[in-house]
Amino acid sequence: MSSEPIERRVSYLGDRLRASRCQICGKEYFELRDYCGNCGRESFGKMANMDLFYEKGKLEVCTLIDEPTNKFSKFERFIYGIVSFHDGKIRVPARITDQILQGSFNPSSLEGREVTPRFRRRYSVGQNDVVPTISLAFTFTDEYYPYQEYKIVQPTKEYELPGIVGYGVYSSRFRIKDGGIERAVPFIDEDSVTAAVEAGKFALIHSGVDSSWVGKVYTGSESNPYAVKPIAAKVAQVLQLGEKDDDLQAIDAIDTEFACKAATSMFKDACAIVNYPCSNINYAMVIGADNSQAAPRGYPGGELDAFVGYGGAAYIFGKKDVIAQIEGWYSCTSDTPDFWRRDGEPYPMHGGRFTGDPAYNKHVRKAASKMMEKSNLKPCDFAYFVPHQPNPSFPVRIAKDLGFKEDQFMPAIQMPKFGNTYSGAALVGLAAILDVAKPDDLILMVSYGSGAGSDAYILRTTNQILDKRQRQKVNIKSLSENQFLEFVDYSTYRRLKQGM
Amino acid sequence: MQNRPVIVAVGRTKFGEHYGKEPEKLIEEAWLAASNECNLERKDLDTCYMADYFLPITNKLGLEEGFLSELTELHVPMEVTRSFSAALKTACHAIQAGVYSIALVGGIEKMTDRWYKIRDDLMLLEDPWSYYAGGTPEANHELLLRAYIKEHGITGDALDVLSDALAKIAVKNHAYGAKNPYAQYQRKISVETVQNSRKSANKALGLFDYAPITDGATALILTSEAVAKKLGVCFVSVYGYNSATDYLNYSTRDELSHFVAAQFAMQGVLKNSCLNVWDIPIWEVYDQSTMMEMVSLEDLGYCKVGSAWRSISESCLDSKGCYEIDGKELYVNMNGGLKADGNPIGATGGAQIHELFRQLTGKADQRQVLIDGVLPKYGGSLEFEGFGTKAYVNILGRDLT
Repeated sequence: MSSEPIERRVSYLGDRLRASRCQICGKEYFELRDYCGNCGRESFGKMANMDLFYEKGKLEVCTLIDEPTNKFSKFERFIYGIVSFHDGKIRVPARITDQILQGSFNPSSLEGREVTPRFRRRYSVGQNDVVPTISLAFTFTDEYYPYQEYKIVQPTKEYELPGIVGYGVYSSRFRIKDGGIERAVPFIDEDSVTAAVEAGKFALIHSGVDSSWVGKVYTGSESNPYAVKPIAAKVAQVLQLGEKDDDLQAIDAIDTEFACKAATSMFKDACAIVNYPCSNINYAMVIGADNSQAAPRGYPGGELDAFVGYGGAAYIFGKKDVIAQIEGWYSCTSDTPDFWRRDGEPYPMHGGRFTGDPAYNKHVRKAASKMMEKSNLKPCDFAYFVPHQPNPSFPVRIAKDLGFKEDQFMPAIQMPKFGNTYSGAALVGLAAILDVAKPDDLILMVSYGSGAGSDAYILRTTNQILDKRQRQKVNIKSLSENQFLEFVDYSTYRRLKQGM
Repeated sequence: MQNRPVIVAVGRTKFGEHYGKEPEKLIEEAWLAASNECNLERKDLDTCYMADYFLPITNKLGLEEGFLSELTELHVPMEVTRSFSAALKTACHAIQAGVYSIALVGGIEKMTDRWYKIRDDLMLLEDPWSYYAGGTPEANHELLLRAYIKEHGITGDALDVLSDALAKIAVKNHAYGAKNPYAQYQRKISVETVQNSRKSANKALGLFDYAPITDGATALILTSEAVAKKLGVCFVSVYGYNSATDYLNYSTRDELSHFVAAQFAMQGVLKNSCLNVWDIPIWEVYDQSTMMEMVSLEDLGYCKVGSAWRSISESCLDSKGCYEIDGKELYVNMNGGLKADGNPIGATGGAQIHELFRQLTGKADQRQVLIDGVLPKYGGSLEFEGFGTKAYVNILGRDLT
């Protein structure tokens, strides 16, 4: 669909599965309506808008599509059917996603099962077209992604320092296993935009924050499908961040780019903005997500292909019901060309061994040691150390060099489970720690972005980290140790990663 | 009925793949065939109504009336509709209102000119939200079957009976197609052929359950009973016509195992024409799939809801060519249906009327149906636009005077 106004309208309804309910007779409709067909004129102004984005539905009937229409041809084979919500009051057409189908197909084994909407690419379009998205893609709730209820919780406690009030991690169901590590592989309808939205959705669920309370969203990525068009705008629109005003969201949304530290860089900005008394912004969201790019093996830059993953994380910052306060930060920057991607090029290049000592090690070491020096803290004062993790060896070596012990840093090293998630890498590591941390744990996180720079943060967990943990079914453990993970071979990995 | 509209001539092309012909050539052929059947010439036409579903997309022809004007060298009022039955309905209104006395009604579709994109176009036009979710034209028929199975609790061996009944529909339609010189597929098939196509697709419905992609054109000449009598030509009357609509998006409809539009259209037409269901023993129904023909028997009121598959399975033997329901014979799709005759969407309804005209005037050759040894009095056609989004029912009757 190259006509953007049509695309805008379809996405506006389909991304969020917007629906209406007549407040007189209770009849429900997919799409937004101004009046009810049953109640006619008297229902004008009495239609309640709702959406099915956070709901679970039921797969009523289904069939196998193995000769898709042209725009769906890259899916090859998929399950298609009708999903009902609210005991059949609303029905929508549905594509079941995240399935590589082989062998025979039995619809009656699938019908009746619970499903939840996933935010995905809709279908293939030309290289120069707007990328269409939709949430009429579903996964089974008894498989990789369990259903999580989004319940808004009024905050009870205000903290002196701003910090993290909730977070969400997102990765795909597919993995490639080689070189002793498992790396996440996006399904063919996933990209950095869909990961950012899904991570943000999970963060809202975990925090209990009403999406309209969020006043700013930052999205860091180096694999935005667009050279020009912000991921953050999609995130704000789909997650309805900020007050809704007609079909606009009253929020500032911005994409950031600094290789792998595009998101961590904004933690301090998010803290600052929620702490600034005149900002009227109580919450700010920072997302780091990537479909990490690498040339195929054997091509220039193809060495990265053994490490890249897929996924991301979203963090909501605020001063109320904080689970981890930000106690300090330190950043350093230098013009170090260790990894880059020229505009218009599909894959990044990197400087081989130059990415080690003069780049990653130098910046991470500087940021970590300066941070500790500034706060009069030693490695033994920290419960956890979270370094940026481009491969399995760099973070281990630097952590040991800095004087951290394995039980302080190994829980954070998630790269061997997800691959290098670029802008999401340090964030995924931090999530792994927040998933298990006790109250009053001190955490040092140091990110690294090629080009180059590092951000160090000191975080201290609060009592509330335990309460909020109950709301979160999708976490690092569920995403990485899951019986529904599906392992694919190299050619499937490249095909899925290439996407639609 | 005041100014009862009557059909005085019908014409059509062979249905199939007409790569060498422009759409204009096809409609010309159909019109000339109709014109040759009666003493009417193009200068006698007061108006033209032409149907095409998506010629602007398949052939980049956006102002069809223009080429029709060029073709006929006429400057009379012309209008375009989406289906043949819609064109016929509009023409009937005009004749009844006394606005025009002789109208040409035509239908044309040229689908093979857009082989590569035709399924995307069809699906996007007939049900955009389903298309956005990945639906294909075939998928809705398969979901209809699943919904039917679930609605009526059909399990175990009964599923095989249902599957066999659907196969028999395709076999019957191909048997009729073999006797129709205009049909796209003029060969008989067996139940095994249908079953094997399903097996190789690993699906409940296979290639032989679906109507094909077709090029073709149809035409008829409509006038009033009085004018027809004055002209002294043989005619078939339009006793009743009605249509009904349903939601574009199949999944949002209240009823997934039936087409309520067909039910409403049929109920309306029976009321207006003062006929009973069994007064009409011959039908041309819209078998875009075998499933659609089966469900139509219920929607039109010939079978109880949830029972058509049993009646079909028990009675539809390919030598007989009819269904036997409650001891009465029902003849369906004597032209081969959309399955064998072909489905050039805008022209398809014209082929249905063409067949009814031949049957009611006793000129259906080897396909001729006799009810108790005499020509049937009434025949009906059911045409859909989209996947049950619009339903048109027409009842034709032979000249009983």
